[in-house]
Amino acid sequence: MSEIAAGSMRAGWRSRVNAGVETARGAPDARRLLQLALAGIWLLVALLQYQSFMFSSGFSQMIGATAAGNPRVVASPISWDATLVAHHPALNAIFATIQLLLAIGIAWRPTVRLALAASIAWALGVWWFGEGLGMVLTPSASPVNGAPGAVIIYALLAALLWPADRSGRPAPFTAARAVGAPIARALWLVLWLSLAYFALLPGNRAPQALNGMIASMESGEPGWLAALERGAASVVAHQGLAASVVLAVALVIIAVGVYLPSGAAKTALVLAIVVAAVIWVFGEAFGAILTGGGTDPNSGPLLMLLALTYWPARAMVTAPARTVLTPPGANEGTTAS
Amino acid sequence: MIPSWILDIFAAIMLAVAAVSAARLALARPWQHGTSAALADIDVSHLLMAIAMAGMLAASLQTLPNGAWEVIFAVMTAWFAYRVIRDTQVSGVRALAGGHCAPHLIHAAAMLYMFAAFAAPAMHAPGGMGMSGGMSGMGTLRLPFLAFAFALILIGYSIWDLDQISGPGASGHYSLAATRTAPMVPVLVGATAGPGAAPVSALASGSAGSAAVAGAQPVDAAPASAYVRANRGVLAPSVATSCRVAMGVTMAFMLLIMI
Repeated sequence: MSEIAAGSMRAGWRSRVNAGVETARGAPDARRLLQLALAGIWLLVALLQYQSFMFSSGFSQMIGATAAGNPRVVASPISWDATLVAHHPALNAIFATIQLLLAIGIAWRPTVRLALAASIAWALGVWWFGEGLGMVLTPSASPVNGAPGAVIIYALLAALLWPADRSGRPAPFTAARAVGAPIARALWLVLWLSLAYFALLPGNRAPQALNGMIASMESGEPGWLAALERGAASVVAHQGLAASVVLAVALVIIAVGVYLPSGAAKTALVLAIVVAAVIWVFGEAFGAILTGGGTDPNSGPLLMLLALTYWPARAMVTAPARTVLTPPGANEGTTAS
Repeated sequence: MIPSWILDIFAAIMLAVAAVSAARLALARPWQHGTSAALADIDVSHLLMAIAMAGMLAASLQTLPNGAWEVIFAVMTAWFAYRVIRDTQVSGVRALAGGHCAPHLIHAAAMLYMFAAFAAPAMHAPGGMGMSGGMSGMGTLRLPFLAFAFALILIGYSIWDLDQISGPGASGHYSLAATRTAPMVPVLVGATAGPGAAPVSALASGSAGSAAVAGAQPVDAAPASAYVRANRGVLAPSVATSCRVAMGVTMAFMLLIMI
């Protein structure tokens, strides 16, 4: 087979592979960049799952603790899962490897659909068996400690970043490309309104509720982060009701923000990113990763990534065309796009 | 405690990366073309980092004392910092994201950090990091936030590399051939077209392609074309990229389990 023919075949294959993920000159579009960010978070989660702590009894106890407060029908399978992991710590290696494959699969263009679909199924399973449905059925659910469960946001992102486009008008933002703007906006509204609802639960409105939640994150953290947590906890000491109301109002503004005109929507999305960052640093302590026992970065980064998927399309930053010069002949047939 | 077989698997992957990098160097023989420093640094760095990481993951694979590795990676970090500065002068800040030296700078700096910040547990014998003893015998890293930050950057580069090697026209990074023709030095185009002209090395950036456009024939075109022809199999750019992905993921793994 001649070089030209072989190159042509490769070009054809690659153009099929990259349908929906490419713009001119091989530069990934906004959706592809967001998919890669999702893949990066999955990779981080996978590598964290290989930590020593996850092979100890502490991990199974962590899983078992999510059963508390849940209805029996939800809690029983969680307890069974915790017992299984306690008796077979090597299962954790399988969990980690599955997540590693999900990350690689999303980053590897030919397998992006398969990996996204698998990630939805995996995330739903972990949401139940590993996170107790994000504790949303318990009185202790709070947006500050990760409700409605970080892993359900992985599934939501996978659905919103599905590499397909609805015919018709161009999507106003990336999240609308696969499911359409009305459905995407409704999903956003439900998520953020639910966070506002959780913020106002009686357990979170108590004078010392938020203080206790933040202060509890101090344990095991490096000195500077522990000091940050202590400072934040002292700010909200005995201010549980006021802090909950302020947080709930911000969350409601964010929820309805995607229905507003572009400029106001951007403001709401920036607010969403700021709120998510504050929650991640002060409420979640970076997912407790620096303690050596964090299973994932928690919900903060995912909420930020989710906000980016709703960024109005015209303003969405896309990667500049790559300018890497490749040697002659090195990429025959691969630069057709 | 992390099962030792997991660490052994990662160590085996690192040995494979080292073998591939050594094979790339042996097959390309950059030293024969008088351009070894500029051309081979990527594969040399892959080779050294893979050997060092294999020794960190499995005590039986330890080669040099930690102090020697610190010196090696300090030199490597300085070298790639110099390369990155040179790249940014040509390509601007894009060199940090799309260039091939910035990721290697991060890799080298992360290795240096791991050796310099390693805090061995009191019961651990000096001389090696000895992760194979499991978490109880492994020790931790000082400044854990730095470990987390390095891990995030390495994850980012690894994911980006995976995307690029599975996409169109994106596998030309940091191969020996690619480096040979990268725009690092002024182009010498058509300077040797005339019969009897003095031989001029085709090291110059983009020489083969530029010469073709200009209708000129570099006198020393044979080595360059040999590189291009050899740019397949183990010398393919995607092989180097795959090695870098494997190292980036393994390095991020090590950083995170030592937090």
